[in-house]
Amino acid sequence: MQEFFFNLSITIFAMPTPSKMKPLLVIVSAIVVAGIIALYLSRQGTAAGTEKAAGDGSQKAAPTAAAGGGGRVRGPADAPVTLLEYGDYQCPTCGLYHPIVTELLSRYQGKLKLEFHHYPLVQMHPNALAAARAAESAGDQGKFWEMNDLLFEHQDQWSKSASAETIFLQYAIQLGLDSNRFMQSMKSPATQERILADVTRGNDIVKGTPTFAINGQVLQDLPGLEGLSDLIASQLKTLGK
Amino acid sequence: MRGRALALILLAFLGLIDTLYLGIKRGKPVPCSITSGCEEVLNSRFSTLAGIPISWFGFAFYLTVFSCAVFATFGEGWVLKLVFWPILTAFIISVGLVGVQAFILHAYCQYCLGSAILVTMILIASPKPARSVSAG
Repeated sequence: MQEFFFNLSITIFAMPTPSKMKPLLVIVSAIVVAGIIALYLSRQGTAAGTEKAAGDGSQKAAPTAAAGGGGRVRGPADAPVTLLEYGDYQCPTCGLYHPIVTELLSRYQGKLKLEFHHYPLVQMHPNALAAARAAESAGDQGKFWEMNDLLFEHQDQWSKSASAETIFLQYAIQLGLDSNRFMQSMKSPATQERILADVTRGNDIVKGTPTFAINGQVLQDLPGLEGLSDLIASQLKTLGK
Repeated sequence: MRGRALALILLAFLGLIDTLYLGIKRGKPVPCSITSGCEEVLNSRFSTLAGIPISWFGFAFYLTVFSCAVFATFGEGWVLKLVFWPILTAFIISVGLVGVQAFILHAYCQYCLGSAILVTMILIASPKPARSVSAG
């Protein structure tokens, strides 16, 4: 893209400039300069860039993520590849990635596990913490992933609701959970502490949600389904699986 | 008129950068940031019109204003009189979009707010259409 803008600038400035062409020259030059500035600004904060995330395994290693542990695990415990996710149930982008992660688990069945950690962005998402508590409370009765799926799939239903906890209770009933135990867990300080432990663990690496890491390597950008799939396939190849 | 045109050039150029930045950001998934609600706004259902990101409509608007102002500085002052109504329309749309952020999304994107401020400043800087004066 930058090369394109550069070549375009050279072409424009090499052109003969009769007086009537001058305004057009200024306009085209301004678009080129504005494009370069916008591109430069958009690259800020994605240090490794999209290309790195596409699969050569050269992302910045993150010891905190690599340490792993904790969180909720979906898939076989001995799976050679771990997709670690720091997520927020109220984050629309996490919602977009839910079917992608589900598809990856299905595509790499037996070879991939998801390790999910809570990272509710409470300043932006007022219901995110309650949603994380709902997932953990369902987990206390063995239905963390069922609640996790409901929360992501029905994000629009509760995200902006003033009575999100009532909706979560309805989900718990729908999942056949003991509603009294569910509400006790929702209010339990121990549930909150588990979530805060996830947040503390993620503080060093999370700049936004979702944050993904594959076998300890934090992705600096968000690849799509095929990008993530390529990274997982590359890890499996490296491990000879 | 030349002062107004130069002000419009500067403001519209900033608008071009802003909308190009938003257009680039909108083209790929962006994480929900810890510090801003921009992603919330960019991922919302209000961020597109007929499948086209509204930032590209903004880009077309700023390009129109910028082009007219550039032509005005090169002696074609009359073209600036054409842009008042598009500017007023853009201002009304911007007020609506700020309202969507405040009352529906409850999230603010600094780049979208920046664009609304730029449109407001462009409206202030733009030459107003001449009022017809009735002879009395």
